[in-house]
Amino acid sequence: MLKSFYEQMKKLSEEEFQRRPRGWLMFGAQLASIMLEAFEEDAKVVWTTYYTFPMELLAAFDVAPFDFEVACNLPPGLDPKGCADIMAEAEARGYSVDLCSFHRLALGCYFLGYLPKADLLLTTSHFCDGKTKTNQILAQYYGKEAIMLDVPNEFSKESVAYVSGQLQTIAHKLEEVSGHRLDLDRLGECIRASNRARAAYARLAEMGKAKPFPWDGFRLCLLSIVGNTFSGTPFQEQLYRKIIDECQQRMAEGKVAPEEFRVLWLAWVPAQPTNINEILRTNKVSIVMAELARIYWDEIDEKHPFEGMALRCLKNPYVGSVEQRLTGVLQLAEEYAIDGVVHFSSTACRHANASFRIIEDALAKRNVPFLVLEGDMSDMRRYSAERTRSFLETFTEVMAARK
Amino acid sequence: MKNAKPKIGWLCAFAPEEIAMAAGLLPMRLSGGGESTAVADAYIYSNLCPYVKSILALGLNGKAKHLDGIVFVRSCDGMRRLCDVWRSYIGTRFVYMLEVPKNRDEAAVEYFASQLRKFARALGQEFGKEITLESLNQAIKITDQVRRQMQRIYHIQCNLPLPLSGSEVFQLGLEGMHTEKKSFAAKLKRYYSDNKSSVKPHGKEGKVRVLVSGNVVDRSDLFNIIEAAGADVAAADLCTALRYFERTVDEDSDDPYLALARRYLGKRRCARMTGLNERLAEVKELVKTYAVDGVVYTSVKFCDQHLADAPYFVEKLKDEGVAVLFLENDYTWADRGQLRTRVEAFVEILGNRRR
Repeated sequence: MLKSFYEQMKKLSEEEFQRRPRGWLMFGAQLASIMLEAFEEDAKVVWTTYYTFPMELLAAFDVAPFDFEVACNLPPGLDPKGCADIMAEAEARGYSVDLCSFHRLALGCYFLGYLPKADLLLTTSHFCDGKTKTNQILAQYYGKEAIMLDVPNEFSKESVAYVSGQLQTIAHKLEEVSGHRLDLDRLGECIRASNRARAAYARLAEMGKAKPFPWDGFRLCLLSIVGNTFSGTPFQEQLYRKIIDECQQRMAEGKVAPEEFRVLWLAWVPAQPTNINEILRTNKVSIVMAELARIYWDEIDEKHPFEGMALRCLKNPYVGSVEQRLTGVLQLAEEYAIDGVVHFSSTACRHANASFRIIEDALAKRNVPFLVLEGDMSDMRRYSAERTRSFLETFTEVMAARK
Repeated sequence: MKNAKPKIGWLCAFAPEEIAMAAGLLPMRLSGGGESTAVADAYIYSNLCPYVKSILALGLNGKAKHLDGIVFVRSCDGMRRLCDVWRSYIGTRFVYMLEVPKNRDEAAVEYFASQLRKFARALGQEFGKEITLESLNQAIKITDQVRRQMQRIYHIQCNLPLPLSGSEVFQLGLEGMHTEKKSFAAKLKRYYSDNKSSVKPHGKEGKVRVLVSGNVVDRSDLFNIIEAAGADVAAADLCTALRYFERTVDEDSDDPYLALARRYLGKRRCARMTGLNERLAEVKELVKTYAVDGVVYTSVKFCDQHLADAPYFVEKLKDEGVAVLFLENDYTWADRGQLRTRVEAFVEILGNRRR
């Protein structure tokens, strides 16, 4: 099922790209291609976390990176009912419905034989306990090694050295899996590509300051999470440049949706189809920035690549105390002239959801309305369209009253 | 009380009490008890671990004012966020988040040692007492003494029939987590000498024997339910029992922080640590050592780490012929009626398997 989903996605994205050469379609086709690589018989498949693992390191090896969270949780966008049935496979085997739908869906895919092989299962300790645990469980089922990049919640020279040392150990492991030595020149090129993409991404993020916002906020959120898949490859910069060009063209032609309210989006975006976009459009609300879309990391020093990648891991807003996250949220709220902040609280995303009160109080001091929008990223059984409508419409009224 | 030691609360068995003791503090494990968690829902997300919410409720209800400090550990997502909320809304003088690695290799041990030194410096600065090698070694020695004494009591529970009541031993252990180590050591000495004769040299099998395994249990409800169903709790692989008292520190080390790091990271794994199969092997070893008929695996609701492990654990233990009952609990064990029915059925199954 998973393989055929990505075959279809690749085919449709490529065909549509021929008709409408848009960056988003280019992204879809490339993402599908990278997923499909993992299904190739002779591929060395390294499971990872696209949005937190320093992908520059993997790009320096001949391996197919595969993220079970991302791979399994794009299909609900097309077939939420079928995906709920897949989750039920995991639930029937004892996996609690209180676990994150992302992980139940991945486990269900495993039990139904939808996942590709795994030669090594890497993950990171940030953001959540659920991902690392699911990675370990899947590694046991596959009989393969699970390695967790342990990213501490404190920033010091010791934690940088600890993470950097682990990355070097992982590089040795990747040498074994890929069958070739780490080429430092190649790693250097991957770092340079990543830094160039970072600069392009900074320009894309700046687009959110334009009024009205010239792109789709949900896509910006998704890109900020899944776009990291391509960190260390030239494609990432090409993709960002293409989207920037399109935004500029749209602005020049005045083809931008009307905007009355500007929203900053926190935490995740639903992977399943929802009525959120429709409600926002109707009420002239634009998501102009997402907390996960913020550039929190500095350029990686190519002379000290392991240390540089460690720094990127440690500076992630979801690492450390809530202060790190809150600082970013407040900064974005100010820079992007935000009218309101929405926290999408997916049912089991405890590490993100549990900070709601601190964020709410900090925003209240700045007179910025805040909404906790409860839902689920992938489980349609836990998403209520009517409740969402009621919450978002009321929130729009609150923003209007404060303007 | 005049001249009473300042109190520091802790919540996870990875919190190094020795360092707090060396700084002249009285470390005490915090229990949420029966605190209603409704007040906590307004500050932290509702579907979060009920232990975390109970502790927060204590703080919000002003029941943690006796604490001069509190040390959190990066045990899990819930604890990380509890520390944030505590820092923001509860006015405890000293709030500390101790970084504990999830890996156990040498790099992790060295990193953890660096964090223990940092913790010691922070305590020394806040409470005005520099931690010396001598004071730390002294604290290590008395803590190790308590560990050895409890291990001796646990050891006699390997005998058939079970010499001491499982719930009584469990309660005794809980007491050791919030009392002064020196007086507790004296109590354990008396307890052991009063009870060592309970061991029957060639005793009969006795009642069905159960191992309780899981995360935070700090009330004896489950033990009472199991015992009322006619079984014995021979051992408890919990962070409030075996995992707290096992493994001592290398007392002769030149670097006590490194020695402490080795002890804490080297002790029996809980679900937060890497090494799922190794943890399973440790549970299997306990099954043999304590000659139990079955395992009651329990987890508080919304504990992603233990809940995720449960199906794999149950499957693998059953593959090896070990009977397992998985019980999810709400930390207060409010649903005793349902739990009792399930435990009674499980004990009956274990009894039938013996025949």
